[in-house]
Amino acid sequence: MLSYFSNPQRFDQLARTLIPIFGGLAVILLGVGVYLSFFASPPDYQQGETIRIMYVHVPAAYMAMALYAALAVASFVYFVWRHALADTAAEVIAPIGAVFTVLALFTGSLWGKPMWGTWWEWDARMTSVLVLLLVYLGYMALRAALEDAQQAARTGAILAMAGIINLVIVKFSVDWWSSLHQPASVIRFDGPTIHSSQLWPLAVMALGYTFLAGWLILYRLRSQALRRRARTLQRKREQAARAREEAVS
Amino acid sequence: MNALGAVFAREARLAWSGGGGAAGPAAFFLAAITLAPLAIGPAADLLSAVGPGIMGFAALLSVLQSADRLFGDDHGDGTAELYLLSGVSPAWLVLAKVMGQAAATLWPLPVIGCLGAMMYGVPVQPALIGALALLAAIPALSLIAGFAGALAAGIRRSGLLIALIATPMMVPVLIFAAGAGRTAFEGDERAVANLLFTLAVSLGTTALAPFGIAAAIRSRLG
Repeated sequence: MLSYFSNPQRFDQLARTLIPIFGGLAVILLGVGVYLSFFASPPDYQQGETIRIMYVHVPAAYMAMALYAALAVASFVYFVWRHALADTAAEVIAPIGAVFTVLALFTGSLWGKPMWGTWWEWDARMTSVLVLLLVYLGYMALRAALEDAQQAARTGAILAMAGIINLVIVKFSVDWWSSLHQPASVIRFDGPTIHSSQLWPLAVMALGYTFLAGWLILYRLRSQALRRRARTLQRKREQAARAREEAVS
Repeated sequence: MNALGAVFAREARLAWSGGGGAAGPAAFFLAAITLAPLAIGPAADLLSAVGPGIMGFAALLSVLQSADRLFGDDHGDGTAELYLLSGVSPAWLVLAKVMGQAAATLWPLPVIGCLGAMMYGVPVQPALIGALALLAAIPALSLIAGFAGALAAGIRRSGLLIALIATPMMVPVLIFAAGAGRTAFEGDERAVANLLFTLAVSLGTTALAPFGIAAAIRSRLG
């Protein structure tokens, strides 16, 4: 499977068919999801209309974490099999994941104000998402600072893999940290059961976000591959021109 | 083992001769804990409450402050290549190297941390527990700083980049190390648990980070 797609032509063909499918599914699912969550679902009996922020917030938080996992897996594949496509995937996933993390933090803050009476609460989950954003930023900054493409790829892969071990420990330690202090008297709504009238819009939105991320990743993967090919062609042409000049002189 | 001892001693000597030894981190630590009360205000009960936390935070910053030296010079002058060619396991080598530098430059941190906490009005016993936790945190902090430093070795103005990479990784150490002093101050029995967690994180980092640092050095030479 891995070696099958190491042929850039084959990947290009697959991407060209998948990009419109993912894009179309993302648009349809997000459209249906927005309708379901903002118009067709009932307001919550406790939170009222503010529950609708959940439909934007929870999928964003889920994507922020899922994309970091994808980044780490891609980095692992690159590190072990030196698969160039995996590195490009890691490179394009990082900024998308960072944007979903910012979206999750921002919508979480908007949700926190009416629910907890505060824009920001130093609770375990919010703090670990903030740390996740720092991890994304560090990864992107390191890649941007390294000019040599191969060094950037290998060094970035090591950092991304170390990051996933780190994030697990951070999650545990931040839970411990926030349990040191009695949390402020905020209204918690962490019910494990969620009514089906809320579950459906949430599931549709989560699926829509997933296809949106998949679409963005494939699109950027393909444009990166094209950019790389264009650069190679240009270099070849320059080399040929130089050789011709030398032959003339 | 002889080679490891030589690397350890070389690092310690280098830190003393060229980098001012322990003076840099110690002075930085002192400056940071002098400035914090000026920002927070002189209220005694507030200062004693934040004291243990400030000590952990300022110690973390002083470790970061010298992180670019550790592997930056090696990357520039070819020492890193020689390390990899030496035949000694690179993970052991970098462990000896980081520990050499830490032993030479970071030993004043627990001392200043203990005195500083008492200056903030923290009683002796919590101040001592906080200092012990700092001592337990130093291997983890310096290895993480070394890992970030090895990744960013030789990049111009790498200090900022190292800080950005290292801070998320230092979160657990900071929580447990500062938490030990804080819970001891609050009279909470979890102080010992925090201290043990700090040690656990330090030991875990000592087991894992050398491989990460060795891989990072290799990736930057490729």
